[in-house]
Amino acid sequence: MNLGPINIGLVQRSLREVIWTTLVLALISGTVSGLLAYALPRVQARFMQRNFIPPGVRQFRDAIFGFDSTGSSVSDIAFALAWSHPIVIALLAAHAIIVCTRTLAAEVERGTVDVLLALPVSRARLFFSETAAWLLTAAVLLGAVYAGSWTGARFIPPEHRPDFGRLLMVLCNLSLVYGVIGATAMLGGVLTDRRVRAVLATIILTIGSVLINFLYTLDPSLEFTKHLRFLSVLDYYRPVRMLMEGAWPLRDMAILGGAIVALWTAALAVLSRRDVTTT
Amino acid sequence: MTSSAITIESLTRRYGSRRGVENINLSIPPGSLYGFLGPNGAGKTTAIRVLLGFLRPTSGRATVLGLDCWSQSARIKHDVGAIPGDLRLWPWLTGRSALALFGRIRGRDIRRRGEELAEELSLDLSVPVRKMSRGTRQKLGLVLCMAHQPRVLILDEPTTALDPLVQDRLRGILRRLAAGGVTAFFSSHTLSEVEDLCERIAIVREGRIVADSTLDALKQQAHHEVFIRWAPGGAPHQAPPFLSLSVHTPECWRGRLSGPVGPLVRFLGECRVDDVRIARPDLEEIFARYYENAPPERGRP
Repeated sequence: MNLGPINIGLVQRSLREVIWTTLVLALISGTVSGLLAYALPRVQARFMQRNFIPPGVRQFRDAIFGFDSTGSSVSDIAFALAWSHPIVIALLAAHAIIVCTRTLAAEVERGTVDVLLALPVSRARLFFSETAAWLLTAAVLLGAVYAGSWTGARFIPPEHRPDFGRLLMVLCNLSLVYGVIGATAMLGGVLTDRRVRAVLATIILTIGSVLINFLYTLDPSLEFTKHLRFLSVLDYYRPVRMLMEGAWPLRDMAILGGAIVALWTAALAVLSRRDVTTT
Repeated sequence: MTSSAITIESLTRRYGSRRGVENINLSIPPGSLYGFLGPNGAGKTTAIRVLLGFLRPTSGRATVLGLDCWSQSARIKHDVGAIPGDLRLWPWLTGRSALALFGRIRGRDIRRRGEELAEELSLDLSVPVRKMSRGTRQKLGLVLCMAHQPRVLILDEPTTALDPLVQDRLRGILRRLAAGGVTAFFSSHTLSEVEDLCERIAIVREGRIVADSTLDALKQQAHHEVFIRWAPGGAPHQAPPFLSLSVHTPECWRGRLSGPVGPLVRFLGECRVDDVRIARPDLEEIFARYYENAPPERGRP
């Protein structure tokens, strides 16, 4: 049964395959997000009461933010940290990579691609359906991060709580970062018949992209990294600025959105044209 | 409207410098049971993958029901049922949930027909795939590829792992479907099942079709096997030119006859013969002959 370019049966099949992974990661992400939302404002408030932040911590914090956060409030910094925390980013990346490398690499690797492609569904429709399933599970995961943050914030003093409208902006921006990782994994998944290759390629690109963002802030003597920062997804994700200024980062979001569309379209084109063998 | 269910025209498919199939031509009429024979690595699966739209031909063309196998692959598969050589299914499926899921993907309810086929093949639809033996999984694959009542079946070594009883039932189902106009194209290296089931076969060797004919015609083309037991002192001194002997003693001759039987019968009429047997070789021997002196296979994908 088709719904526009999407085959409902294929979406159900994909959801059945990834639902448990998604639920487990959503539970962990939500819990981590909640704990960070509960703990970080307290830590930050303590730093601010003492009016002292160790220089190394400030430098690292600004490396994560990619933005000079001087003058921002307890809640801005605490929630920006919570929403760019390496554990949260790693959990989101793990989900994107697990779900998006299934087509086609995982199907080829376990031999089920022969049955899948023998069904009366075009490769484009297969790809649209896989994407729909990915987006549905992504909504659960990102929703869990937001819900965790919202729940954690219930247990902190009201003056340390963030503006939840602005936190939604951060969520949208983070979703696009997640989307770029997922679309990269999708391209990797259709370019190779071995899932481990697709996974490794995406991990290397993601870590490389994150490192580029950090290196210049941590060590300004690495001048060349300054010119490569535009390649980092985190260069287009500045939660502290959104929380402070409350303005949509339209340029950053457009660039991330463009990258997703380009990578996704490339993956679709490769899948539609490539030969499929399992032996 | 096309007169052939499956047509392959000058089809070549290479994997880089390696051979897949080379310039093959086939035309399979509707309602036929067509055997595609060859040893492992001969190119059978490559041809089937082209038919199913998994591989794009390097040159040439393949059509099923008049539709191009590469550009119109999704449309073709509404009317095609296929089973791969090494069937793998998602482990979380059961037979019943597989019928429901495949029906949803195909956009039609295939459960009733599937249950009938499962009963015929003695398949328990409640068992999860992860607990199925290879043979049971193969039965489920066969049910799934026939439950939507396709017009063309493309079966890559479908009897693999099936017990003889189920193989027999499958043959019965295929004969019944063929009588109803369904075309079955199936590859095998089990010669006996092809001999038993197919009206027509193609033999593929090193990516090329070396024979494409009815079984009867193939047998007609083949040499007769001859065995003669002579009465004491009845053996002639010299064999006639149309008989090439592998055993040549005063008591008996054994060999191959070239050409028609008549000259041999006339020759024997002038001799004192105790016993004679003139037989056509079975498909196994024909097949072996087509592969005689074939160079060793190179590794292929």
